[in-house]
Amino acid sequence: MKTPASHALRMALIMVLLSVALFPIYWMVVTSLTSSANLFADRPQMLPDPSQAFNYAETFSKTGVLVWLKNSAIVAIGTMVLSILLAILPAYALSRFRFHGKGVLGFILFATQMLPEAMLVVPLYAIFAKLLLLDTLGGLILANTAFTVPVITWILKGAIDGVPLEIEEAARIDGCSRLDIVLGIVVPVVAPTLAAAAVIAFFHGWNEYVFAQTLILSQELRTASVGLASFVGELSTPIHTVMAIGVMYTLPAVAFYLMVQRYVVAGMTAGSVKG
Amino acid sequence: MASITLNHVAKHFGPKVAIADIDLKIEEGEFLVLLGPSGCGKSTLLRMLAGLETVTSGEIHVGGKRVDQLPPSARDMAFVFQSYALYPHMTVRRNIAFPLIMRQFKWWFHIPVIGGLAKRRIERSPEVAELVEKTAKTLSLTEMLDRYPRTLSGGQRQRVALGRAMVRKPEVFLMDEPLSNLDAKLRSAMRAEITRLHGRVGGTFVYVTHDQVEAMTMGTRIALMRDGVIQQFGTPREIYTSPANTYVARFIGTPPMNLIEAHIEGDALRIGEALLPLPARLLPAARSVSGNTLLLGIRPGALTIGAPGEAGGLSGTVSLVEHVGAESVIAVGLAQARTAHEEEGEVAGEIMVTASGYSDLARGKPVTVGLNLSEAVLFSAENSRRLGDDAAHTA
Repeated sequence: MKTPASHALRMALIMVLLSVALFPIYWMVVTSLTSSANLFADRPQMLPDPSQAFNYAETFSKTGVLVWLKNSAIVAIGTMVLSILLAILPAYALSRFRFHGKGVLGFILFATQMLPEAMLVVPLYAIFAKLLLLDTLGGLILANTAFTVPVITWILKGAIDGVPLEIEEAARIDGCSRLDIVLGIVVPVVAPTLAAAAVIAFFHGWNEYVFAQTLILSQELRTASVGLASFVGELSTPIHTVMAIGVMYTLPAVAFYLMVQRYVVAGMTAGSVKG
Repeated sequence: MASITLNHVAKHFGPKVAIADIDLKIEEGEFLVLLGPSGCGKSTLLRMLAGLETVTSGEIHVGGKRVDQLPPSARDMAFVFQSYALYPHMTVRRNIAFPLIMRQFKWWFHIPVIGGLAKRRIERSPEVAELVEKTAKTLSLTEMLDRYPRTLSGGQRQRVALGRAMVRKPEVFLMDEPLSNLDAKLRSAMRAEITRLHGRVGGTFVYVTHDQVEAMTMGTRIALMRDGVIQQFGTPREIYTSPANTYVARFIGTPPMNLIEAHIEGDALRIGEALLPLPARLLPAARSVSGNTLLLGIRPGALTIGAPGEAGGLSGTVSLVEHVGAESVIAVGLAQARTAHEEEGEVAGEIMVTASGYSDLARGKPVTVGLNLSEAVLFSAENSRRLGDDAAHTA
């Protein structure tokens, strides 16, 4: 039974966990609004100082943050769209068809996730150089997609497994081709999972650093992750500038998540079949 | 409406034979019920008719046209699934209109937004909208047209599934246990609704069920199946009164037909000490038996309970009394007779008797069971087939 004491304890625990999760973000905002003089003070400033808002204006004018964010958005959205387009059909095939080597194929897809990015960066660099994909955002999207497609394929396969076969059979009788079934019936039914997969692919593209650092050479094609890291110097690091960029880097991702979040709802198939 | 002909249709799943060489002719406008226990192949046969399963061998003709090589959508059949199989992301209106939208479907309907607008345009076109409204009205779904399947009750969902089938005006309606997920009361209401639907919209209906009440009340003819083989194909009355074999005899009827071992002595049957003269109707059948042992098949309703020691009956002891509203079902353990019931849980030598009203009989009471042989049938003890000339319906 739920007593007031257990409820209070639960709430307290939730508050503690939330604080642990949110404090770094709060600290990032506070630091971005702290004067240079107070950055290394003995007693750190715990509240943001609105008078230091000019930090943001300076960051905008003195750094290429807007271009970096634009590049990051291109890479993240490109990775997301391409990953989903490439993952839907294999996920459907893995879920619904029986063919020789299905198990092996599934394992190989999984095995790609075991290889760290850093290990692949050198061969990928050589291949990209030959294909003239070095220093292009398209190339970077392709590299990121190669990493997200297997995991998204597996996630979508799991969701498609849960779509009752009768719905597809009903669609076949109603005159749907296999492609009509995938695009018109299966994809809408697994839309919540698709939204979750989109979030994964987007954030992979948005946050990715190793490939962006290696495969992009020119300043104007840098993504925000690389741009942010470029401020970390050997002798000095303008922490409040880095944090201001950090805030700007985080906000679009949060906005994207909030936008997609409402689609990530369960129970879409409820009512289609018995129950 | 179209007739359906199955010529030597078989279906094998690897070494397992699901359907073994079935020949069947379903007439135009008929309501055929495929009846049988789980795993007998009835659903497989229905799915083969629909094109959802391939045919291992044989041919299927609908309206004289061979269809077994055609895709499901080209067979002009509608299928109602046991699990409704509604499209969860579409409203009731779109679910019902979907087959009509698919008739005008173009590849570019897959393009987001544009395709959605095109589909909406078809859905709102006068001919489609009118048909959907009319179908919804027939099934009392008008109020629910803009709701999603998840907000509907089981009965309403099943009606939407029926609507989706009806709207296409197909030649043939195929139904795979459509009522088995509904509660008893709703099932009875939907049973009547489907029968009315058959009368109203016409079309040839093939209906799969394991429920003998559905089969007996809805079907114009029944094909009773077991292990991929049709045991008997006939009207509900034929199947009830003249079962082709002991399996059919025991499958149809609640409680099932009693099968009692008997021996022929002249023109009479010997069961234990009782000697029962055979009616003239059964004499040819009795004389056709090769040995002198046969199985007497008699429905519980053709048996009466009398006082112990009464002449012309079988003596026994009451072992169970069940009161089922208007009648009582009495199980009697026979003293000197053997039964041939194969089902699990059956007690050897025990027969069932139904008596109208509330029976005051108590367990352990000795009784005499009287037999009205004019309603009995005789089966061969060797191959379980019904004896007599009119047993030709056996598959």
